[in-house]
Amino acid sequence: MIKIIKRDQPSRAIFFFTPVLAIFLTLVAGGLIFFILGFKPFEALKFFFIVPIADKYGFSELLLKATPLCLIAIGLSFCFKSNNWNIGAEGQLTFGAIVSGGVALLFYEQEGFYILPIVILAGAIGGMLYASIPAILKTYFNTNEILVSLMLVYVSKLILDYLVVGPWSNPEGFNFPETRQFSDSAKLPLLFEGLRIHAGIFLALAAVVISWFVFYKTYLGFQMKVSGFSLKTARYAGYKGKKMIILVFLISGACAGLAGVGEITGPIGQLHREISPDYGFTAIIVAFLGRLHPVGIIFASLVVAITYLGAETAQIFMQIPKYTGQVFQGMILFFLLASDYLLFFKIKFIGSKK
Amino acid sequence: MNTNLKISNVTKIYPGCVANDNVSLEFNSGKIYALLGENGAGKSTLVKILSGVIIPDEGEIYLNKNNLKLNSPLDAKKNDIGMVFQHFNLFETLSVFENLIIDSDEQRESLREKIDTIMKKYNFSIDLDIPVLNLSAGQKQKVEIIRCLIRSPKVLIMDEPTSVLTEQETSELFLSLKKFSEEGILIIYITHKLKEVMQLCDEVAVMRRGKLVSVSEIKNENIESLANKMVGQNLKTIKKKKAKTSSDQLIKITNLNFTSEDPFETNLMDINFSVNRGECLGIAGISGNGQSELFQVLSGEIISEKNSIEFNNNYIGDLSPQERREFLMAFSPEDRLEQAAIPQMKIFENVALNNFKSSNFFNNGLINENKIKEHSKKIISDFNVNTNNIELKSQFLSGGNLQKLIIGRELITSPDLLICFNPTWGLDVGAINYIHETLIKINEQNKSIILISTDTDELLKLSDKISVIHKGKLSKIMNAEEVTSEKLGILMGGAN
Ligand SMILES: Nc1ncnc2c1ncn2[C@@H]1O[C@H](COP(=O)(O)OP(=O)(O)OP(=O)(O)O)[C@@H](O)[C@H]1O
Ligand SMILES: [Mg+2]
Repeated sequence: MIKIIKRDQPSRAIFFFTPVLAIFLTLVAGGLIFFILGFKPFEALKFFFIVPIADKYGFSELLLKATPLCLIAIGLSFCFKSNNWNIGAEGQLTFGAIVSGGVALLFYEQEGFYILPIVILAGAIGGMLYASIPAILKTYFNTNEILVSLMLVYVSKLILDYLVVGPWSNPEGFNFPETRQFSDSAKLPLLFEGLRIHAGIFLALAAVVISWFVFYKTYLGFQMKVSGFSLKTARYAGYKGKKMIILVFLISGACAGLAGVGEITGPIGQLHREISPDYGFTAIIVAFLGRLHPVGIIFASLVVAITYLGAETAQIFMQIPKYTGQVFQGMILFFLLASDYLLFFKIKFIGSKK
Repeated sequence: MNTNLKISNVTKIYPGCVANDNVSLEFNSGKIYALLGENGAGKSTLVKILSGVIIPDEGEIYLNKNNLKLNSPLDAKKNDIGMVFQHFNLFETLSVFENLIIDSDEQRESLREKIDTIMKKYNFSIDLDIPVLNLSAGQKQKVEIIRCLIRSPKVLIMDEPTSVLTEQETSELFLSLKKFSEEGILIIYITHKLKEVMQLCDEVAVMRRGKLVSVSEIKNENIESLANKMVGQNLKTIKKKKAKTSSDQLIKITNLNFTSEDPFETNLMDINFSVNRGECLGIAGISGNGQSELFQVLSGEIISEKNSIEFNNNYIGDLSPQERREFLMAFSPEDRLEQAAIPQMKIFENVALNNFKSSNFFNNGLINENKIKEHSKKIISDFNVNTNNIELKSQFLSGGNLQKLIIGRELITSPDLLICFNPTWGLDVGAINYIHETLIKINEQNKSIILISTDTDELLKLSDKISVIHKGKLSKIMNAEEVTSEKLGILMGGAN
């Protein structure tokens, strides 16, 4: 017989175990779906999760996809930890890319070591500017940051569209919706010959280390923790609530902006219409799957990155639409929320009693 | 119909603490039972076991000789055991009726009828269709009670039900409880107010450190003997020596107003008072008359005009709580679970919430964990918080011990002015005595207190001057010697 019993206190081990369980359940459910679709479940899962990363190239692709996810999720965890619901990282990524791309285009005929830092900085600033809109509206006009940040995503995508089709489109580009190629000095260096993985990964790793330090060692991290639990207590303690809201939005905007920089100055080297396959939204799942913990987020970003790659291989080898990747992302989130039940309850198997 | 409830050899052990140690107790309907004990004695644990919230490590529960297996609150409900928790479990934005039917699977219509009959029978008058947030504390509690009565319980357990009630509401509650008891419902009643026990109960069980130490009939007891049994020693009666009236003014409030945008808050109108060094100003009133707003204005959670608050010759009306602490003010709010502390955080983290520059909890933006822990240990030992584990999440402290931690956190910094709101809410008699002594000591050290309290006895014991707050207005300030509890009662009701 199975009995469900309330836990006396949520256990810490379970806290980090449930994400693993969620991934496992996703695999099971995914296999089931493949089975229903008429594929051999194990083979399909192999195409989805193993084949894509089986070689050097695949592994580099994995890191390439995980980099923006990790970077954005780290930024988002600043917001989520302190009770600020920034849903618009995709917009901040896009706007960061626009600003840094604009700057890179200014230098399109020039070379020089100073160009790349300026381009990177411009991306961070762009993301911050864009994130400051929901933050300021929230602090001074009491608007809901979820709505504002989300809607701004679509605004930023339309701005990008307009720019790459109109004023910024490549004069020699036969009206393709894309800009000129950036000069080599404005590109993040590739790490290995023939692979697409680029120096952006170091930005992500730096973000991981810095965020760990801020979360667990600084007064700011402590204040974020308190505000995350209770805004009333934060007010009683006398924390500057408005300042903090703006600060965490800026940090998270900067991270998303940097992810945007990585996307356009990495292997692609130009602005075009679709710079991000919804990294900004998927990173929300990554942040929660990683339990808003920097190390957890590293693992989570790798796992979720596989779903992007798997979707592509599955499309090629099994002729199923690449949107299955999103199905898998959705399932991970769903099972994560469901298995959080185990944080508060335990399941006991009781032998039948006489 | 007779109900017999038997607790047999119940033990519940937490890491580092035996909350219930082999407790056996028997109850019979027709009587009202009091369960007494110091903070952390294990009362709540015991009744939570009875209501299925906590599962004991050992021991059995029998209801009318049937062995009950209570694995969840639902099991308790099914077995006709109802419990009203100390903290309300109601959905504020739902209507009273929706709150009542939420855990029932009966038809809406038949339930409404049932509820109407219950309300008629016990003279409850509550509008079923207004949202719960419009109710007073007493009415909310009635809703909780009705929710139990719908299931016609055999046992009704109440954990410190009167801490949020006015005197009027308390006596109404007692009338209903007596009626329930006459009708055969077995009532178990937890409280720290010994007066209430003498008024209401027939039998009293006392717990100490998880053990049951005595069961006796009320007619053989008096307040002193009960207090003695609870704490295991005689309580000294403390009395404040009349302070030498200083005329050295510490804080002055002038023409302070607060208008809230929230219709459920009270506006403060034209508040004026001053407190001298070494003085305790008591502010009496029925809860919900603007005390919480006044507290927040004084603490800086609500900012007011710069000139409306003068502290030690500085105008501080526009400063935040953090900035006010630098002027040596300390604040102990009423709501310990939602405001003064964060239950999910560890004890030492909660200590760091009150951050004076001089305590060096944070240097250059970095956490100085050693300093915080050192400080926490001192609070725990100085204020008798019954744990030695500062890494414990504070939700696992009993209510009274959490309060001691909070008061201790504020007092250990030896502030010039302490502003406290119901500082002994939910404390046992020993702890109350201890806090009262500490408050008196503060005054003797020429430091001042603003004591906002709904407990008139406490105010009369500790205050030098008293004012009454009613609908956001303060009465004139009276010398404590001229005031009696009757007079306070009249002013609290709104008369002039
Ligand atoms: N989950 C837990 N982990 C560790 N200790 C716990 C836990 N829950 C309760 N305790 C401890 O068990 C003891 C009994 O707590 P209980 O809440 O029953 O006390 P109480 O008699 O109701 O006190 P009060 O009058 O202050 O409400 C306390 O010392 C408390 O710290
Ligand atoms: Mg209790």
